[in-house]
Amino acid sequence: MSKRSYISIYFDDEIPMLKAVRKLRDNKEIILDVLSPFPVHGLDKALSIKRSKIPVGGFIFGALGATLAFVFQAWVFTVSYPLIIGGKPFFSAPTFIPITFECTVLFGGLAMAAAFLIRSKLKPDIKFDAIDERITDDHFVIFIDSEDEKTSVEKIKSVLSGIQTIKIKDHANG
Amino acid sequence: MDEQFNFQKKYRNILLTVMAAGLVVTLVSILISSYGASRIWANVLLNNQYFMGIALGAAFFVAVHRVALSGWHTIIQRLPDAMTAYLPVAFILMLLIYFGIDHIYSWAHFEGHNEILEGKRAWLNVPFFFIRMIFYFSGWIALTWLMRNSSKALMTSADIKYHNQRRLFACLFLVFYAITVSTSSWDWIMSLDPLWYSTVFGWYVFISMFVTSLAFIVLLIWLLKRMGYLKEVREDHVHDMGILLFAFSIFWTYLWFAQYELIWYGHLPEETTYYITRLNDFKLFFYLNLGINFIVPFFGLIRLRSKRQLGWVAIIALIMLAGHWLDYWLMIMPAAAGENAGIGILEVFMTLVYASVFIFIVLRSLSVGPLVVKNDPFIKESLTYES
Repeated sequence: MSKRSYISIYFDDEIPMLKAVRKLRDNKEIILDVLSPFPVHGLDKALSIKRSKIPVGGFIFGALGATLAFVFQAWVFTVSYPLIIGGKPFFSAPTFIPITFECTVLFGGLAMAAAFLIRSKLKPDIKFDAIDERITDDHFVIFIDSEDEKTSVEKIKSVLSGIQTIKIKDHANG
Repeated sequence: MDEQFNFQKKYRNILLTVMAAGLVVTLVSILISSYGASRIWANVLLNNQYFMGIALGAAFFVAVHRVALSGWHTIIQRLPDAMTAYLPVAFILMLLIYFGIDHIYSWAHFEGHNEILEGKRAWLNVPFFFIRMIFYFSGWIALTWLMRNSSKALMTSADIKYHNQRRLFACLFLVFYAITVSTSSWDWIMSLDPLWYSTVFGWYVFISMFVTSLAFIVLLIWLLKRMGYLKEVREDHVHDMGILLFAFSIFWTYLWFAQYELIWYGHLPEETTYYITRLNDFKLFFYLNLGINFIVPFFGLIRLRSKRQLGWVAIIALIMLAGHWLDYWLMIMPAAAGENAGIGILEVFMTLVYASVFIFIVLRSLSVGPLVVKNDPFIKESLTYES
């Protein structure tokens, strides 16, 4: 956001923030981003963000984990090292189920966590400048594009009249 | 929001006709075919257990949500509340077992000497069986009546007292139900095979009850919306019902497998008899049970969009109601009716009679007050709920 003109609006509660998001979108303002210390219900819908594809990845990797675990156990107990356990046949599907289940959960869970980290470009040594430290604590911020001349702090103030904001800051050309 | 469910004469007549016609077909089929007394009484027990389970699961549903101070269920809470109104009728129908106890419970008329049965005699004897039955039902009926009554008081008064009262009754119900749901399932289902036992059986029956009542609540929402009521119930509420139906179907499978695997692994003769009977004679039903109750909801409801469409969730719920009927059938019939067991005209029409009685009572109980309890402290949270 360095070379760009934008306006940041600060809130100390999620409800006025959600109201402001809806109002700004009704007024055709371009919302660049919204930062919040915790996930806010209904925010994705208010911003018309497309649904994440992470569940699809979770399902595919879960299915992969289930298949691998089942096939591996079947191979071990019938081909690689057949053992007679309690008089049961070598290929005893019920004994494979608990491990298959656990591997499904493990693969699905790890794959979703990894997909999230990769997609959000997060890695252990990442450094980033917090725009305001309180965003990670108890403040909510909406960033609005002010590249075109029509958007100004005064106009935003009039749009958001009646909604409780803490401060509205103008960042002209960074 | 003040809409009142009108149980029109039209609907009453349809239900009464189905009831009468079903009764006639059932009686005629009993007279002209030779089902054997055990199969007829096993059917009575099966339907008693199935519909009582739906009513009890509904009571559990509202009790859990009230104890947890949940908000979202507030606008549909009268549906499960109304379902609990069936319990007094279930009590009377369950007492009918007195006349058929010799035909289905082998311990009730066992004359010879069996050491294991002698050891269980203190619990499994006819007088104590009915004393326990009266005890369970009086607790369930009293506590659900008290909960319904406080809800009724909330319809006219905005006193927070009634809300707190109702929550207290919900706590008491949960404690009482937690114990009695296990013991009642030993009494009425597990003792059909008096020599067999499974420690997980009570939970297994409980989860069957809860899943069937969730499915029935979904169907009731669908029906009422079709009639033009419950306009405030949106996709978000349906989504939550879908999540619960999905999650508890998986939990049902978990318990099904927990019981099966341990018995299969341990390979003890007194435990494996249960599965041997069912796998030898009813292989198709045995696997169909697992398929309907696990595969259908798992793949049918796994996607987010499918959980939010009421029509689709209702179809899955209907299939699952049939599936869990089959599940109870597999628990009860092979043990109680033995060689006579089967699914025929008798089973279908007797279930139809019970279903019409059940729906009649639920709809009549719904019509006593407005569908939405306006004075509930959580009503606003429920109306603006987003999931």
